[in-house]
Amino acid sequence: MNITRCSRWLHFTLLVLLALLRNSNQTQGQEQHVKNFFQRADSPSGHTNNWAVLVCASRYWFNYRHMANALGMYRTVKRLGIPDSNIILMLADDAACNARNMFPGSVYANTGRQLDLYGDNIEVDYRGYEVTVENFLRVLTGRVPLTQPRSKRLLTDDRSNVFVYLTGHGGNEFLKFQDNEEISAFDIADAFEQMWQKKRYKELFFMVDTCQANTLYSKFYSPNILATGSSEIDENSYSHEADFDIGVAVIDSYTHYVLQYLEGINKTSKATMEDFFAMYDPVRIQSHPGVRSDLFQRPLSSVLVTDFFGGMADVDIVDSHLFHDLDDNIKLGSSPSPRLSNTNRDPSASRPVEGTGSRLLPAGRSHADVHQTRAWAGLGMVGLLAGFVLLQTKFRTASSGRDR
Amino acid sequence: MERGIYRALPVIRIFLFILGYSWMLMLPSPQLGRGIYIDENALQPGQVNTYWSWDDVHSADVYLGHLEQLRDQNASSVEKSSFLRSVFSELGIPAATQAYSFKTGTMTLDGINTYGVLSAPRTSGTEAIVIAASWISLTAGPNLRGIATVLSLAAYLKRYSLWAKDIIFIVGDGYMDGMQAWLGAYHGLDQSNLDAEPIKLHSGVIWTALAIDYPGHSFSHLGIFYEGLNGRLPNQDLMNSFHIISTHTGGVPVVVYDHVEEQMDSIISRWLPQLLSRQAYIKEYARRARNVIRHVRYQALGRASGVHGLFHRFRIDAITVFAVPATGPHGFHALGRVIESTLRTMNNLLERLHASFFFYVLTGPGTFLKFGQYLPSAVIVSVAMMFGGLRVWVDAGWVKQQWSSEKVNHGPAGKAPKWKTRRRNVIIPLVVMLATHVVGGITFFVVTNSWFLTRTDKTTYLPIIPLSLIVFSILSALLTSDQPTNSQHDEPSPAPLSSLLKAFNLCFASTVISITSVLNFSLAAFLVILLGIPLSISSPTIGLTSKMAKAMSYFILLFPIWWTLLATPMSQSIWDWQVLGVWFAPFVCIVYLPLVLQATVVCMLDP
Repeated sequence: MNITRCSRWLHFTLLVLLALLRNSNQTQGQEQHVKNFFQRADSPSGHTNNWAVLVCASRYWFNYRHMANALGMYRTVKRLGIPDSNIILMLADDAACNARNMFPGSVYANTGRQLDLYGDNIEVDYRGYEVTVENFLRVLTGRVPLTQPRSKRLLTDDRSNVFVYLTGHGGNEFLKFQDNEEISAFDIADAFEQMWQKKRYKELFFMVDTCQANTLYSKFYSPNILATGSSEIDENSYSHEADFDIGVAVIDSYTHYVLQYLEGINKTSKATMEDFFAMYDPVRIQSHPGVRSDLFQRPLSSVLVTDFFGGMADVDIVDSHLFHDLDDNIKLGSSPSPRLSNTNRDPSASRPVEGTGSRLLPAGRSHADVHQTRAWAGLGMVGLLAGFVLLQTKFRTASSGRDR
Repeated sequence: MERGIYRALPVIRIFLFILGYSWMLMLPSPQLGRGIYIDENALQPGQVNTYWSWDDVHSADVYLGHLEQLRDQNASSVEKSSFLRSVFSELGIPAATQAYSFKTGTMTLDGINTYGVLSAPRTSGTEAIVIAASWISLTAGPNLRGIATVLSLAAYLKRYSLWAKDIIFIVGDGYMDGMQAWLGAYHGLDQSNLDAEPIKLHSGVIWTALAIDYPGHSFSHLGIFYEGLNGRLPNQDLMNSFHIISTHTGGVPVVVYDHVEEQMDSIISRWLPQLLSRQAYIKEYARRARNVIRHVRYQALGRASGVHGLFHRFRIDAITVFAVPATGPHGFHALGRVIESTLRTMNNLLERLHASFFFYVLTGPGTFLKFGQYLPSAVIVSVAMMFGGLRVWVDAGWVKQQWSSEKVNHGPAGKAPKWKTRRRNVIIPLVVMLATHVVGGITFFVVTNSWFLTRTDKTTYLPIIPLSLIVFSILSALLTSDQPTNSQHDEPSPAPLSSLLKAFNLCFASTVISITSVLNFSLAAFLVILLGIPLSISSPTIGLTSKMAKAMSYFILLFPIWWTLLATPMSQSIWDWQVLGVWFAPFVCIVYLPLVLQATVVCMLDP
């Protein structure tokens, strides 16, 4: 009896240990699977969503080109995949509906007016007098009033890549808002630090097109910020061209060449930020654009342009044979239990779904289900064994009692 | 006291006089001055395509035909205004008329203004732009083509919806009187001698205005007339924008007034020897001098050089665009294009013009003198006069003590002469000055009185000269006799009246010149040139004949008064004062005349 009992307990513990081992094996596999999900094979940026904050800080008709800058960037960023819900567009004045506009309801960015940037389906989040330094800093840091609607909030998390674009009139370490106030480079640096502390971005790309723009990013001190500006200190940024029916300059030189380059980028482009910055030509742009990458941890040759300008949704290619199982299951509408019991009885025999690079579980089931059923199965097994042992002992005693 | 600056003072004064006058002579030189530039960023001149076409030229020709008919029929104001009103109504522009009547010294001026208001299509008309033309041109002929341009512009501008301000089209009757009546009524200013209907169609605040003056058949250049009433000038950005637009968009060269360069070159070649007249420097100097002299004439007399000048009182920047008559290449087409582009530029404004200069001298269409480059010339001379006055004042307070006869034998080597102070009786000179001002006031009152203006002619002014001489000699005899004789007392006799009067005269003149130079530089320059030296060299004389001779020579200084106020039955300056409120006539009578009279009295006194 003792030997039998011992051997039974041994068997039982062995089974329990095996079950635990199997579980831990599965957990490690899960972690690896999740990790690989967040990293694409070629550019390990690790972000899951993209946001853009596009600000035109100057008003009045003769600053038409600043509004065209911001709208051009908005169109490009939308085309490359960032949805309206992830874009905060701030325009300090309404150029399209200005009484002086010969083409009411339109904003153009080139001589000859080939593309209307104000045409269909644009969503301006902060407009007119709402574009202030206070609102800009509140949007960035998330300190918005409770009544602020969702469309006016920057709802980023620690896996968001944020693209911040500023344009307007500026100078040495400041940018003019609305002709009556200024934001300084220190204010923006502190706002970004707050964002970092509150885990509101994974990587941030800061672009600014004003006079003496490079001074505006000189005060940043938070990690993972890549910055670029259109002109050096004591240097003006110039407008590119004017339209002779609108009567004012319609686009700035730096933004024009940036947008022209981005026209050659689409959602699947593998162009890197290094290529982007190599496009800078001070002679054509008529000023010296600058780049600041010392706070940015990844090498620029591995950062894709679409990491910041595009809104990439991560897609995994599924192993094709699993599709058939999936199809069958869906067609038959069968419950997963017969399969499950098979797996439970012989857990070591079930084939781990590996080898093709995909990390899917047996078709038709979820992680949580399997864990639960396994747990209950293990408990059930222990209970069965315990019951079996008890019964045996009772039977033995009963039989021994009768024998005497 | 006889050392240092006191001794050097005469030299300093002469130096300052020479410096001031030579600076004035150097104002037109090509080295002084800088090019014009646009200061207001919002203007963006010359950046638009214009769509004024030959169809619009045709409509202008049609309107011109109607206007010529009216002129040939000698139509009355009522007929003219009803025609203009019907034109606006046909175009769908709300229009109204305004009848007015001015009562001046000799006559009554009346007429009827017509105006239309094109409301800003897409915005509330809080501001307005004015396009004006008067029936009579500044050349005194009829301004028919100017009015035709205004009418066809109204038809053309109505087709566009990009006007951010209301556009008011005004056709003023007469020359300046019509516009004066309209502007006063629009801004709610009453004038005692004006009886005008109120404005029925109100628009916004007027910021800029253009007056079109096109007397001839065609034109070769577009001239800018910019002086306003009392020497006020518009903001330079308006003229500079017009200049750029006319040169680049319209293709019409711009000149100042109607001073075409070729005319000037021919004048120079007639008057100067070949060697000099060919020099580029001399040519340029002569051109600029011509512009400066004409500018000084307008500004010193306080006259507006065109209808635009009436707008400056209300802080409206305005110029007159004058089509210089010629058989030249341009006509309605060029003028319309230029005005359209200028209107687009004026439309871009977001606030009143404030960035560019308000005080300048336009030496050429593309060059001007900044304030600090011309102002010191008048102020330096007035400083010299002030030094002179102070010198005389100081001299009046000290007298060299004469030693008594017994001490003379000892010779001057022993002791230095002593200076003693003496009393300066200030009351009498002040009373004399006041009297001269009262005389000036009476003169002004008489000269502007309607009784005087309607009843007298030139010949009646002649007896004034001997009459006043007699009056002055009696005055001076009275004044001299009041003075106590010099006696050898311990207490020196008080300062002579002539010195004190001269001191006050010079200091007062200097102050007036300095203050006026900031308001109206040309008037200050006129005072400096006429009064600078004569007032400084006035001195008392002995002997009746020499007194009379000196007084006659000072009376020559009164010639400008005669010329501007009394030469014609109703002189232009008096008309300006009565109708437009120009201060030149009262200034001349109440400030200039007393200054000259004070200097004359100084000469008539005994030393």
